[in-house]
Amino acid sequence: MDSLLTNYISPYYIKIFTLVGIYIIIALGLNFISGVTGQLSFGHAAFVSIGAYTAAILTTRLQLPFLPSLLVGGLLAAVVGILLGFPILRLTGDYLGIATLGFGEIVIVVFQNMDITGGTIGLSGIAKNTSLSLVVLVVIFTIWSMYRLENSRFGRALMAIREDEIAANVMGINITAYKIQAFGIGTFFAGIGGGLYAHMIQYLNPTDFGFSRSFEYLTFVVLGGLGSIPGTILGTTVLTLAPEFLRFVAEYRMMIYGALMVIMMIFRPRGLLGGVNLSKKIRALKNKKKTTIPSDAR
Amino acid sequence: MSELLKIDNVTINFGGLTAVDSLNMTLTEGNIRALIGPNGAGKSTIFNLVTGIYTPSKGRIIFRGQIINKLPPHKITGRGIARTFQNIRLFSELSVIDNVKIGYHCRSRGSFIDALLRSPAIKREEAHTHERALTCLALMELADKAEEVAGNLSYGEQRRLEIARALATNPALLCLDEPAAGMNPIEKEKLANIIRKIKEMGITIFLVEHDMKFVMNLAEKVTVLDYGKIIASGTPAEVQRNPAVIEAYLGKEVV
Repeated sequence: MDSLLTNYISPYYIKIFTLVGIYIIIALGLNFISGVTGQLSFGHAAFVSIGAYTAAILTTRLQLPFLPSLLVGGLLAAVVGILLGFPILRLTGDYLGIATLGFGEIVIVVFQNMDITGGTIGLSGIAKNTSLSLVVLVVIFTIWSMYRLENSRFGRALMAIREDEIAANVMGINITAYKIQAFGIGTFFAGIGGGLYAHMIQYLNPTDFGFSRSFEYLTFVVLGGLGSIPGTILGTTVLTLAPEFLRFVAEYRMMIYGALMVIMMIFRPRGLLGGVNLSKKIRALKNKKKTTIPSDAR
Repeated sequence: MSELLKIDNVTINFGGLTAVDSLNMTLTEGNIRALIGPNGAGKSTIFNLVTGIYTPSKGRIIFRGQIINKLPPHKITGRGIARTFQNIRLFSELSVIDNVKIGYHCRSRGSFIDALLRSPAIKREEAHTHERALTCLALMELADKAEEVAGNLSYGEQRRLEIARALATNPALLCLDEPAAGMNPIEKEKLANIIRKIKEMGITIFLVEHDMKFVMNLAEKVTVLDYGKIIASGTPAEVQRNPAVIEAYLGKEVV
């Protein structure tokens, strides 16, 4: 499929679009944790690294096929996310953020000191298994899952927790259990994204998954709109493409990310598409066309 | 009429402060019971104890013959106790109907796997939840606001939405924490009628209120609390005549 595409698009663009897709998968995972459920995570890149290393080790050292390795990487990231969730998801707000930050740093140190991961030298010789078409399929699956999860009893419970934990609890929601499940789902997608990333870049180094990367993912989500699926996709696309096409952006990337965060918090704290419910907007438009009631004098 | 809720010798301390002191109280099924008292008397604390937000330092809380004071709030809701909050706690960025649907959470089952698979059974459950939410909204005269964002409702509407959300949990006991606070006389009268309607549905009502007049016209039995202790209990007329109550509470108004 991709070889067919190369007739029309240069390999450089294919690489960029693949990367955008992978980042969308990862960012949607983070959006599920921070945007939908309202649990601040500064350690998302750590879960990406768990998925990346797991899948890469399985394919390089154990010669396992790519797709099952990818799935195992996602599942292991989810398991670690759930195990971490038990103690830390009792924390709220800033405290949770600090705990996830600490966890992210621990993961890097662990990978730097393990033999199987190649330590500080990194892990190389990973086969190039990730194709644009596969990434597109996974992106579609991720968006579909997110949409269904959000529009269900399960999703409503998560949003209730984001809005008011005490009220959610009194409405019969076991908040810790739901937060942990949300964390597990979000970290699963981080792990899947990590596995795809590993088999695209073909070389892993622990420092590629540090705090600054976690912060980048958070910027993707916040720019587009916390809790919004189209917003997350937009934010990720813009912020991934901008450094590629605008050289000056690449040089000052982290500075621009930081400045963007400040500007967004002042002018649009809910993100570009935050608070915009597209499906509802479309429904409202359709209704307006059907019924031509004059607008009330408000 | 049988006994629904029994607060048996319950005490709670916050550090050195005893907010509720050896309290005994029994709620009869199908009644409207009011709890009144000056600010800081411990009324809301009692609600927090009954709904599991606080655990008593001493004593037991028995609901339908079972001890519930060691259960977390979400399990207590499952047993059939629902509440509203003194300072409105809605899910303000969600739609009105989603707020009420969340109230039905404890009576439905769909897990995250169900959310992904959307089996016919789950679609039916979702449809039933929707219907149930609309019924509760209609009862609170909010059906036309279903798609609005909860935070955009007027103050009185938000108070009614809280009751609709609590009703969606299908409770046997409904605890209303100052439901009439900030309402004008017309809204209050409307609310009193709604509370009577809820009572007729067979739901027992436990009411904390500041407004004496509102309570006197509504409750079968009134309990007066001061400094975490019961100082009087009886019919509204009895309580109004009680000298201890006049001193602690009404005294300020009678002057």
